Amino acid sequence: MGSSEGLTEWVRRAARGETSAYSELYRRTRPMVARLVAGFAPLDPDEVEDVIQETFVRAFKALPRLKEAGAFEAWLLSIARNRARTRLERKASTRRLEDDVADPEPETVPHIPEALQLERDIEVVRRLIAELPEGEEKRTVQLFYIEGELSAREIAEKLGVGKSAVTMRLERFRSRIKRELLRRVLAGRWE
Amino acid sequence: MRHLDADAMSALARREPEAVAYFREHLARPCDTCEDFLATHAGPNLLDGQVDAALLAAGPVAQKAKEAPLDEVGFARVRRGMKGSRPDIRRWGLAAGAIAACLLAVVVVPRMRAEDPAVQAGTEWDGIKGPGGSIDLELAVVARGANGELRRLDPQSAVAESDVLLLRYHATEAGTALLFQQRAGQGPELLGRFPLEAGMHDLQGPQGLAGVSLEGESGPVTLWLVGSAGRQEPTPDTVREVLVGGSAARERSRLAVTRFDVSVRSGQNRR
Repeated sequence: MGSSEGLTEWVRRAARGETSAYSELYRRTRPMVARLVAGFAPLDPDEVEDVIQETFVRAFKALPRLKEAGAFEAWLLSIARNRARTRLERKASTRRLEDDVADPEPETVPHIPEALQLERDIEVVRRLIAELPEGEEKRTVQLFYIEGELSAREIAEKLGVGKSAVTMRLERFRSRIKRELLRRVLAGRWE
Repeated sequence: MRHLDADAMSALARREPEAVAYFREHLARPCDTCEDFLATHAGPNLLDGQVDAALLAAGPVAQKAKEAPLDEVGFARVRRGMKGSRPDIRRWGLAAGAIAACLLAVVVVPRMRAEDPAVQAGTEWDGIKGPGGSIDLELAVVARGANGELRRLDPQSAVAESDVLLLRYHATEAGTALLFQQRAGQGPELLGRFPLEAGMHDLQGPQGLAGVSLEGESGPVTLWLVGSAGRQEPTPDTVREVLVGGSAARERSRLAVTRFDVSVRSGQNRR
């Protein structure tokens, strides 16, 4: 899937230096970025805001060099994930302050056909959730991805489990989706 | 049996036929080893972003995003981050607990309050039907030092770069306030939007007590707290125009404008 309809044109306008395009891109994509970062339960609300800000500052600074405007959304979310992981690992002292997860280079991002596979990918997500055995992992995934209202921190409180446990469940499920989508990429779906 | 590792991911990113053929088959079945690797390693290419886009699109957030209002405060932070050459620093610290009220005899700062709305008809801030209420706003500021010590500030006080400024206000009406920071020779920058309650209160947002970090600052800094009564909420741009318009513009507007000036000493080991 590429950037949603209409987003690509705003990306092009921002790349041409139109200030208003940046605010429109921010308005349209901040909820997605915020939701992604909300899955990292050990980050407190202040850290979440910092990660969101850092994501957009990095993305907007590099945006004029983005090779494929249609890849903006996936590129932005990749940056957000990297920023959140870096912050989390530094917090857990597993990553040194000067180390950093490298963001995808804007000059080399591949072409992603506009919205080509979105509906099928959503079906993959829903099918894999449905196939999960009944239990805490399935409930966690449903609460975060399908109902989409509670943060991982709030889910931890609701289910009475540790914050890290919720993030681990979400990451474990996400890795299954990633395996499945990688397989589909290798099978040539985007070729 | 081969599993995903850094070499395999590089080969897949280059679309090497042998690697593609092998992992296309291998990944058709669940594999804990490969899934563990995928969970902790980015790529190939933008796959992570595509995965997250699919996951988020399965819930309501993508639809909500289409109608989401602009988070002006968040965007102001991003704009500042884009302009600034300084590293990303936390502009807003959240201090635990309230300021002890006993420390704060309210300092009345120069106040340029709104006049009666009845005589404000035709001024530049339009868009609100009917007369708006007026509001008086007073501001006091406390500095929290690096050692946690609190001290009340008088206007024009010298403060250290390591200080965090905590604000306390007195409002005659409930309403909304925008907080701006202005450095010498620059325009006012939006720091945040806050609800106001009638009476004396600490300035705080949804996440708790708000403080202004002075890290990276040097020289004169002005804090502007601009209040409006009730549900009247001027845009940041409207307020900015009033602030840069000088005293005449402030007196013409319906806004309650308070300012607090400090002088930031750069360097260490000061207070």
